[in-house]
Amino acid sequence: MRAVAHVAFDLLLEARSRRWFLALGGAITLILGVIALFLRLDVVDGTLAATRLFGADLGGSAEPVAAALRPLFSASAWIVFYGGIAFGIVACSDFGPRLLGPGRIELLLSLPLRRAELLVGTWLGVLCIALLGTAFGAGGLTLILGWKTGVWSPGPLAAGALACVSFGVIYAAMLAATLWSRSAALSAGVGFALLFAGVVAGHRDDALAVFQPGVGREVFRYATLLLPRVSAVCRDAMAIAASDAFDPLGLLARVGAMAAFAGAALALAAWRFEGKDF
Amino acid sequence: MTPDGAPPAPHAVEAAGLSKRYGAANALAGVDIAVPRGAAFGLIGVNGAGKTTFIKSMLGIVRPTDGTIRVLGGLPTDRRIRARIGYLPERLALPPTWRADEFLASIARLKGVRDRGEAARHLARVGLAGERARIGAYSKGMKQRLGLAAALLGSPELLVLDEPTDGIDPLGRVEVRRILAEERARGATIFLNSHLLSETVRICDRIGILSGGRLVREGTVDALCGSSDRHRVRFAPGADPARLEAAGFSRTEAPDTWRCAARDPAQLGERLDAARASGAWLVELSPDLRDLEDVLAEAVGRAA
Repeated sequence: MRAVAHVAFDLLLEARSRRWFLALGGAITLILGVIALFLRLDVVDGTLAATRLFGADLGGSAEPVAAALRPLFSASAWIVFYGGIAFGIVACSDFGPRLLGPGRIELLLSLPLRRAELLVGTWLGVLCIALLGTAFGAGGLTLILGWKTGVWSPGPLAAGALACVSFGVIYAAMLAATLWSRSAALSAGVGFALLFAGVVAGHRDDALAVFQPGVGREVFRYATLLLPRVSAVCRDAMAIAASDAFDPLGLLARVGAMAAFAGAALALAAWRFEGKDF
Repeated sequence: MTPDGAPPAPHAVEAAGLSKRYGAANALAGVDIAVPRGAAFGLIGVNGAGKTTFIKSMLGIVRPTDGTIRVLGGLPTDRRIRARIGYLPERLALPPTWRADEFLASIARLKGVRDRGEAARHLARVGLAGERARIGAYSKGMKQRLGLAAALLGSPELLVLDEPTDGIDPLGRVEVRRILAEERARGATIFLNSHLLSETVRICDRIGILSGGRLVREGTVDALCGSSDRHRVRFAPGADPARLEAAGFSRTEAPDTWRCAARDPAQLGERLDAARASGAWLVELSPDLRDLEDVLAEAVGRAA
């Protein structure tokens, strides 16, 4: 376990010195700074009286602040969820190929590490990067909105956590793909393909209702059965962020299924890694 | 004693019938080798002979198709065994945005080295103490030095070095040789793969020649390159060639240098006395060692 932690820690150190992640940190800070400095929310007796961005009135009728902020929290959750996953796919797609690069993998495999530890450490390191980025962005947003409105909702943080879970599943598949072909483009392609498939799988029940009974319907039913329901988890994240009603057991089942998918992808990757010569 | 408390195996590396196939190609075709502990062993051969595949097999990076290989008495897939090995790969890829101390700290963590000062000591040994530039700005020689420092971390019992002096300037090579001599004095076994045969001869006392995935020659440098009954003799200019030839000396391509075959020291003394009696002044006497290039070419030619 210590070796896994060391590999993950090294990956964090490497990410710290990369332009991608410096840009991510800068971009999140900039957005939070703009929101903190130029979004003005006038709250009078628990009612949102006015909303101004860069001094311009954004309109809207006076309503209780908790209700008025729901669309904002919901939209924030959507952006954090899909934006975070898409950024993560692009920015982290070359960690696997770099790890397996000639001259580096030989050195790592000569060290007293198990191959599975190297693999899980890399996955865990990427997950930590995602968690840190999300905690910074979503945490900052929570603090700013709480400070401006007096409504302290952990919704954006919860949405960010669910985004990290979804990204972790997708990255496990990306890492597994890298062990068949050491290509950042392929890794990113697998990530986006799984994201798209996960969005479709999240709307599986709605889509099944549209299909005519027959082979196509059954193929779709079974093809989407094992896929992570990414869009369904995003809907849960938006509901949590906006303090709307959601099905906790359903979310738990979806997250559990995602964890199983990630575990299966990592097991497949470990099997491939163990049998591969470098 | 090993870290497990068991007595150390007599050989640092032992391979029997080691084979590795990539599709239809045989990278290794039944290599049998035994490298004694404490030796400095050089593996040489032409490109594609299987040297790097053999080294990777020693480290568990490549899994043999057939045969066995044991390193320090255990299997290379055992991470406790790998903890006792230091390795410098041929094409070392280092994280370009890191600094030398950060890289060594990372390797030390992964190797489980607890002595925090060890990395700094090895950086000083390889001439990189106080180097604050990022690794991406390093020359090839500096990267090799850093790779060597990483291999030295943890005082390994076996140092496996693939082209360790590649890209290092002549003075740097002297430093590397000095470091390797210190490591041998500490008791470490050195397994070297280098295209620089002169470096191999200077560092190693045993040499193996791989050709077509087989070990075609193996032995001490003297046994491979030299002869117990052949000597090179240099006389001061002006010696009479006819009388030297009559005394049992034969010409070489070098001026004033002659070759002399003598079955024992007594016969060698007699021939030298005859040369001196002819008016030749002895300047230098040495074993008649062949170039390792010649030995390699001969071994590869025979194997082919």
